[in-house]
Amino acid sequence: MSALAAALALQQSEPNTQFVLAVVLGLLFAIGTFLVLRRDVVRVVWGITIISQATNMYLVTMGGLAGSVPILGHGEAADPATVANPLVQALVLTAIVIGFGTTAFALVLTYRVYEEHGTIDLAELGENPPETGVSANTGSTMDGPEADPEAVTTADGGSQSGTDSSAGTAGVGDD
Amino acid sequence: MTDLVVAPLLVALFTAVATLPLRSARRVQQAVSVAGGVVYLVAVAALVRAVKADGDGYLVYELSNWDAPFGITLVADDLSVLMLGLTAVVSLAALVFSVRGIPAVGQRLSYHPLYHLMVVGVTGSFLTGDIFNLFVWFEVMLMSSYVLVVFYSGPDETRAALHYAFLNLLGSAVMLLSIGGLYATTGTLNMADMAEYLAAAPASQTTPVLGLSAMLFAVFALKAGIVPFQFWVPDAYRAAPAPVAAMLAGVVKKVGIYAIVRLYFTVFAVATLPPGPFGDNATFLAFFGPVFLLMAIGSIVVGGLGAVGREDLDGLLAYSSIGQVGFIVLPLAVAASAVPAAGTAIPGDGIVTLGITAALVYSVNHGLAKSLLFFVSGALSRTLGTVRFDALGGVSERNPALAGSFFIGALALIGIPPLSGFFGKFLVFDVGARAGSWVVLGVALLGAILTIAYFTLAWARGFWGPPSDAVAGAHVDRSFVLVAAVLAVAIVVLGVGFGPLYDLSYEAARSATETQGYVDAVLGGSQ
Repeated sequence: MSALAAALALQQSEPNTQFVLAVVLGLLFAIGTFLVLRRDVVRVVWGITIISQATNMYLVTMGGLAGSVPILGHGEAADPATVANPLVQALVLTAIVIGFGTTAFALVLTYRVYEEHGTIDLAELGENPPETGVSANTGSTMDGPEADPEAVTTADGGSQSGTDSSAGTAGVGDD
Repeated sequence: MTDLVVAPLLVALFTAVATLPLRSARRVQQAVSVAGGVVYLVAVAALVRAVKADGDGYLVYELSNWDAPFGITLVADDLSVLMLGLTAVVSLAALVFSVRGIPAVGQRLSYHPLYHLMVVGVTGSFLTGDIFNLFVWFEVMLMSSYVLVVFYSGPDETRAALHYAFLNLLGSAVMLLSIGGLYATTGTLNMADMAEYLAAAPASQTTPVLGLSAMLFAVFALKAGIVPFQFWVPDAYRAAPAPVAAMLAGVVKKVGIYAIVRLYFTVFAVATLPPGPFGDNATFLAFFGPVFLLMAIGSIVVGGLGAVGREDLDGLLAYSSIGQVGFIVLPLAVAASAVPAAGTAIPGDGIVTLGITAALVYSVNHGLAKSLLFFVSGALSRTLGTVRFDALGGVSERNPALAGSFFIGALALIGIPPLSGFFGKFLVFDVGARAGSWVVLGVALLGAILTIAYFTLAWARGFWGPPSDAVAGAHVDRSFVLVAAVLAVAIVVLGVGFGPLYDLSYEAARSATETQGYVDAVLGGSQ
């Protein structure tokens, strides 16, 4: 706990870094929230990714911003007052690895949703009773005014392999 | 002795790994998986015995022998082992059900490893004594549950999993934010160390912790599916395969409840609120009491009304579990409001302990009964291909054992003596009456009436009367009936011999409120 107090004291001496980081974090959370509220699922994934990365950055700042590398030397330990808090870095590493896995899953899930529904527009997912296969492939993500490159790429991929996947689904369900 | 604490964790992890390379040998994989469930039950039973035999009732395991506030600790106490016991029973039943209840292709793909990884996550959450470690176990549990919800990967399943996964991903980010803030404020991640710090710190220093703990509570409420964080529940439970839905409703929800009891009644309960509307020297729980109460009322009303209007059995069960979680949070709300001023020990026979006891008894009852009902629903859906009420009808004539099990499960949730659910409901009413709160009694009564209403509807439309065409030609697999019947018998036995369950829950409630004992065991007594 004393190490933390010292780190916090050091942090006071660097008001600029603190200010810049606070602004950047605020911006990242704002962008993330904006994206999460979009109708396009891919943008929602982006939003969640940005929010979780902003969280990681916030975690790093929670251990104090100043101080040298926390290496345990041979025979003697460094003075706790002069090193950065290493614990938050370990936490962030763990969180990054978890975030990596969940982002990959979220993207695969988005692709799968496109294959099943023919759209990645959240409003349409909620309204329509879903049709199977690729019959509903003319989703609004293609013709919407704000279709972005990611959405189009996903759409193309979906139309190519849609037939295979619906066959696979039937296999799982029927057995 | 303390090594036993990690045993359930290792058993589940080992089973998950062992079932992975056995994909080509279906029978062997199933045998290993079910055997893993049995060994898990044995390991938990051994752990329960060890905790009961231990002098102070706390078994502390320090990972890699790092001392308590610095390394990660696993703590098994009466509260943890009660929840682990529930997990072991429901999980084994769900595994036996899965052998015939999940399509063979699905089992070969990934079902068994994922299922056991989910159990690993649940077990770790119940045992850990470190807040960040709790986050990690949550992720382990969620990651596998995402895949299990989307398991059949049809249109409905993908949409349900999309909502479930994205909501929980946001929840994880919020949880991480609160944990980071808690670390910066209290300087520790160890729950016992944090409790010690909060007990000693003046109100001016603990004020940020109030906001952070409220943020954390939102995450736990999301996991437990309490109103207003219940949106994902109905779709996810309907999409998940029946044994997974049974696990999600019976056990994974209880992880959220456990985290609320453990963190708010053991750790944050000792912190002092700044002077304000709750008076001087009030604890954090004085703030959380009304919050719990509002959310419990919301859950009971939304869950109950939602369930009455369902056209299919599993949708009804999903809404019902929103309402039933309200019944678990309701006594917690009374208990939180009754906590004495900071610095005073919580009496063993007061409303606080009784309220937590009621919540735990209800949790165990709901875990068993709701998983039983999901098994019956899964058996029907696997046999008939649908659980819509207009296709059901007359199951009681075609298969009395299955219908009888459903009947007992429904009666247990309604609260008919001598089933375990009667005592759960009775304790909730008892706590409300002792606290003299007409609001609590009125809401509980409304919830009870709604429960009777929707289960009467389900019984009348799905199980009573002449068999429908689909039901008349159906043959339900014996293993489904067996699993449902065994759970039904367990509910009757727990109700007739209610003493042991009450004692276990009471001791768990005692250990949840004895912050000092927890702190001493983790920080002092373990070396």
